[in-house]
Amino acid sequence: MRCGFYLTLFSVTILYLNHVSGQYRTKGNQGPSLGERVQQLSEMAMKRPVLRFNGGKFKEFVKTTPRNYSVIVMFTAMAPQRQCQICRHASDEFTIVANSFRYSQSYSNKLFFAVVDFDEGADVFQMLRLNTAPVYIHFPPKGKPKSTDTMDIQRVGFAAEAIAKWISERTDIQIRVFRPPNYSGTVAVVMLLVLIGGFLYLRRNNLDFIYNKTIWGLNALFFTFAMVSGQMWNHIRGPPFIHKSQNGAVAYIHGSSQGQFILETYIVMVLNGAVVLGMIMMTEAAARKGDVRKRRIFAVIGLGLVAVFFSLILSIFRNKAQGYPYSLLFK
Amino acid sequence: MLPSKANAPHAKKVLFPDKQPTNSRQVKSSTLTNAAGLSSLITFTVLLLAWISGFASRLFAVIRFESIIHEFDPWFNYRATAYMVQHGFYNFLNWFDERAWYPLGRIVGGTVYPGLMITSGSIHHILHSLNIPVHIRDICVFLAPVFSGLTAISTYFLTKELWSAGAGLFAACFIAIVPGYISRSVAGSYDNEGIAIFALQFTYYLWVKSVKTGSIFWAVLTALSYFYMVSAWGGYVFIINLIPLHVFALLVMNRYSNRLFTSYTTFYILGLLLSMQIPFVGFQPIRTSEHMAAGGVFGLLIFVAVFRYLRTMLTKSEMKYFGGFVTLTAAALLLILVILTYSGLVAPWSGRFYSLWDTGYAKIHIPIIASVSEHQPTTWFSFFFDLHILVTTFPVGLWYCIKHINDERVFVVLYAISAVYFAGVMVRLMLTLTPVVCMLAGVAFSGLLELFLKEEDKDGSDREGGEGSEEESEEETERSSRRALYDEAGKLRRMKHERPKGSGDGLGANLRNGVVIGISMLLMMFTVHCTWVTSNAYSSPSIVLASYSNDGGRSILDDFREAYYWLAQNTPNDARVMSWWDYGYQIAGMANRTTLVDNNTWNNSHIALVGKAMSSNESAAYDIMTSLDVDYVLVIFGGMIGYSGDDINKFLWMVRIAEGEHPQDIRESDYFTERGEFRVDSEGSPTLLNSLMYKLSYYRFGEVKIDYRSPAGFDRTRNAEIGNKNFQLTYLDEAYTTEHWLVRIYRVKKPEEFNRPRIPIAERTINRRTSSFLSKKTARRKKGLIKGRPTVVKGQKPQKKSTT
Repeated sequence: MRCGFYLTLFSVTILYLNHVSGQYRTKGNQGPSLGERVQQLSEMAMKRPVLRFNGGKFKEFVKTTPRNYSVIVMFTAMAPQRQCQICRHASDEFTIVANSFRYSQSYSNKLFFAVVDFDEGADVFQMLRLNTAPVYIHFPPKGKPKSTDTMDIQRVGFAAEAIAKWISERTDIQIRVFRPPNYSGTVAVVMLLVLIGGFLYLRRNNLDFIYNKTIWGLNALFFTFAMVSGQMWNHIRGPPFIHKSQNGAVAYIHGSSQGQFILETYIVMVLNGAVVLGMIMMTEAAARKGDVRKRRIFAVIGLGLVAVFFSLILSIFRNKAQGYPYSLLFK
Repeated sequence: MLPSKANAPHAKKVLFPDKQPTNSRQVKSSTLTNAAGLSSLITFTVLLLAWISGFASRLFAVIRFESIIHEFDPWFNYRATAYMVQHGFYNFLNWFDERAWYPLGRIVGGTVYPGLMITSGSIHHILHSLNIPVHIRDICVFLAPVFSGLTAISTYFLTKELWSAGAGLFAACFIAIVPGYISRSVAGSYDNEGIAIFALQFTYYLWVKSVKTGSIFWAVLTALSYFYMVSAWGGYVFIINLIPLHVFALLVMNRYSNRLFTSYTTFYILGLLLSMQIPFVGFQPIRTSEHMAAGGVFGLLIFVAVFRYLRTMLTKSEMKYFGGFVTLTAAALLLILVILTYSGLVAPWSGRFYSLWDTGYAKIHIPIIASVSEHQPTTWFSFFFDLHILVTTFPVGLWYCIKHINDERVFVVLYAISAVYFAGVMVRLMLTLTPVVCMLAGVAFSGLLELFLKEEDKDGSDREGGEGSEEESEEETERSSRRALYDEAGKLRRMKHERPKGSGDGLGANLRNGVVIGISMLLMMFTVHCTWVTSNAYSSPSIVLASYSNDGGRSILDDFREAYYWLAQNTPNDARVMSWWDYGYQIAGMANRTTLVDNNTWNNSHIALVGKAMSSNESAAYDIMTSLDVDYVLVIFGGMIGYSGDDINKFLWMVRIAEGEHPQDIRESDYFTERGEFRVDSEGSPTLLNSLMYKLSYYRFGEVKIDYRSPAGFDRTRNAEIGNKNFQLTYLDEAYTTEHWLVRIYRVKKPEEFNRPRIPIAERTINRRTSSFLSKKTARRKKGLIKGRPTVVKGQKPQKKSTT
């Protein structure tokens, strides 16, 4: 108890002192000493892991020497009128890294995370000759940042893991990225379950639609088509929708067998679906009883669907596989 | 071996169809028995032909090259099998292999699925006890093609249980030649998958059979077959999750029956006990999350059975709430499992399985899994390449299975949907999709042709019509040599078809024939496609390469075996060879030398150490190599002939894996240029140009001029002139380079061999002292002592030497 009381008292005193020193600094022109700056920074970092710097603060904490701490600064433009979509993602990832560091074992006052917004510190942007955002720069304890102290977003991206890796390269501080559990997925699933449950409850007197095989069949077919046409590849690799070359030509089909475009997979999905539809129509035409003319037309359409669309899919395949010799209706 | 044996009964059997129909025409009363006999004869013939054609189309590699074991993993399996045949089964189980993973060694008996070795070992044993001397290598080479026939037969039985015998014949023919399965079962690819797909299909057949009959007998057989599958392949996890899923789906659909209860409880208990007998599996079935679903469903099933029993005893409950109750219990069990997982009693999903659900997981956390090309997701192109017409028609079969659902069709629907998902995530799991695609496509085609080949009036026996359709489409799938025999049966049947019948509300003969011809065309294209793909894509042994010149001539590049033979002949028996892990099994299998890392990637940090040695500069690498006692270093270099699978192209993975363990020393970004490119020419990053792998690959390559147009040191694989040409190796010495420079072997120098630059005698400066006299006495000896002076101890007589 006593200990705690003293601690509180002590911190209150320090806060007070800081306050005084801050006031003093605004009046006088002399900056605070190294210890004071570290003190201030750690206190600010206790409140929020990513410090917001404007021009003055940037000069005070980052530009002044001597320092014994590294600062990772994200230069960004978050204001809505700047319309920087990527900045928001970058900022989220950056905050994740900062939080991971803040609550990790290796937390120390050797490393601080800060952000400078263009609208608050345009002078800083000018000073560093930055004209893009977001940019991550590491300010080492000694000397000026070198070219490798600017993170290469073009190549490694700005995922939290990439930032942590880059930081560990630059400062030798290992940060294990701990993403806050993403509850949105769980919430969505729970909502869906609740909706389904509620729906079932509302229709509890008439549950026959669950036994509707057509719905189940259609769902299964759709899932199969999605998988077979490589949607999972799209999900993992994230290819472009279509490819536009420099001279304006648009390619819908990827040239090699190793890749595919999103539109291409949709095309394949439709072609597969058409072949399946043709097969089913033929079978039904022969299996059903009833108007013969109608059934004949169905059978002919079915056969046509199978022949034409299978030839189409084969010709796309042939274009992608070099040296494949066979084709059906179309080259 | 097998087909030749099977040929003789076949030839005899074929004699019968000529007789049997004539008999039937004479004796009209016994038509029914003859029809049954005929259909079983057709079944037998078709399955036999499927076996033969499947076997034959897997022999491309043997005919073009020779009877050798392919690729990488099969070499280990072969080595293990040879060890087992030589030393016996129990010694094999206790085998500690000190030649792999130097200096750690590997407990082979406990880290391998022994089913493959036992299978070929017992075949070898049986043949030798019959005095048929076959070398174990030939058994290993031909094991997978032989088992493909068994796969076809078990697929037939499974499809017959699910739909009809006709669909079964279609499915058997499809799976005999479909490239998606051939890719893993060509002659020489002696791998677990070759026998595992048979075990998989057979287990499923027995399971469906036991669900249908509810007899303990079939359930026990299912468990035994499952035991074989567990001993053969890690993919048994697919079975132990799919069967419980089936049971669970049946419970949710309110299709509980006592048959289900009997078969699942028997299968689960026996299967659990049996699977724990495999040393590699051990206690995993009760300790890991992959197996928990089976246990949960077991509990749930017993719960449901008790509940139903109680309901008959006590009150009449509402039927409707039953399904909800089931789901609630399942949720409770899941919660318990989660709690157990968090408390550490149950191991969470292992990385390989987890990466199937969270598709981004492996890329970030396990580079060694992500680095393997068969763990990549699947494009639509690969689906079509491996399955052709089947991939576009199997949804039809799926549709009809759902439309006419029953207990066992629930199973095939679940099988299809889960397998298609897994195949989408990983190219390698296309293998589990292939059987179900064949089955469902068989259902689709047989359903269609059965209707279109049937005679117009409904009196004709349906079964026979169905069989006839099989036979029609069968023609395409077999080899031309068999076709002559086959046409005879076809002619007989066609006569029957062409008998004029009154067409009431039929579609008309023209349309029917049109559809049949169209479908036959498609099936023919499928056959041709399968043969083309098998011949071009899946029949390369990858240790012997072939290159084709412009005039069609073929030249064989046998560099790998040349290098391994050199190692075997010219290095000491206990020499340690360092190479990237891809070549570990081959070095052990062919050269019989100790390796540091191999394709069994169980120790990531050891692999990372080798990766670090390869990506460091020469002196840093020398420290690592001496600490690992490396004698020789082997690299694969394709720049001379344009072979793209060489070590420089794999180099970034070495860097990545090394970086994962040693982030202080290796950084991937150092190996790229300023603009983020990976280039080997003079603009490449200096770290790359001075790394050990680069130097070993390109040592003295700068002196080579391949043709007139290109400069010296032109790398054909990467189409670039190399950037670091004239360098000398300080710590290594070129030991051997194969004919086409594909494999290069270096000897690591001993410490006394380097650090001593040789200076010509004329230039040597010898420092001599100014005074010519040199005392040889050390400081201590300068005192002037007499050498060997006897020490005199006072008061003691020196002892005399005893003569005795």
